[in-house]
Amino acid sequence: MAAVGSALLKHLRLRVQVQAVPRNPSYVLSFSEIRRRFFSEDVRGSFLDKSEVTDRVISVVKNFQKVDPSKVTPNANFQSDLGLDSLDTVEIVMALEEEFGFEIPDNEADKINSINLAVEFIASHPQAK
Amino acid sequence: MAAAAAAAARGVPTRSEVLSLFRSLLRTARQFSDYNIREYTKRRTIDGFRLNRTLSDPDSITSAFSDGKAQLEVAKRQSIIYSLYAPKVKSIMDLKS
Repeated sequence: MAAVGSALLKHLRLRVQVQAVPRNPSYVLSFSEIRRRFFSEDVRGSFLDKSEVTDRVISVVKNFQKVDPSKVTPNANFQSDLGLDSLDTVEIVMALEEEFGFEIPDNEADKINSINLAVEFIASHPQAK
Repeated sequence: MAAAAAAAARGVPTRSEVLSLFRSLLRTARQFSDYNIREYTKRRTIDGFRLNRTLSDPDSITSAFSDGKAQLEVAKRQSIIYSLYAPKVKSIMDLKS
């Protein structure tokens, strides 16, 4: 009985190992895998449509307390058209980060001072969603 | 330009340093798991910077800036500590219907 059992176990273990080998992916990436991982559309993230980005940016800016919603146009400048100061601009850029779910680095965030620039940056950023 | 260089030489924070501190505080505020603390930190940051917006004396600007930096350290530390004791139930304000 014990002999049968151990023979069975050996047999089973052997089979499991035979099946497991092809399933285990090797950790060395082949060239095509690297290409798929870094350059394919689904992994890299896709760019958002510019008109959709514009609509969402405008709705974020309109929701900002100090902004008069009727003044918000796709070409509005935060400081000269909407009457916001540099602190408000930082707040708006932070709100845009939350809306699009990615982080805008400080040096890029400093440059964004109009709706146009915000749309351009977000539409050219693959991680925006 | 010369005035800015002279101010920098005395250790007075520049405009971009102040904005960077403001942004860091807001970023840290976002990390609190508890709704009330998160919103308080954000509100306190915005109010504090608004309150000191008109400062012109170099000494008071420097002291307000170093106060803000100290507060940033506190906020960073507390966001980690609070994350260890995060509330098990979300605030009703966090539930988006």
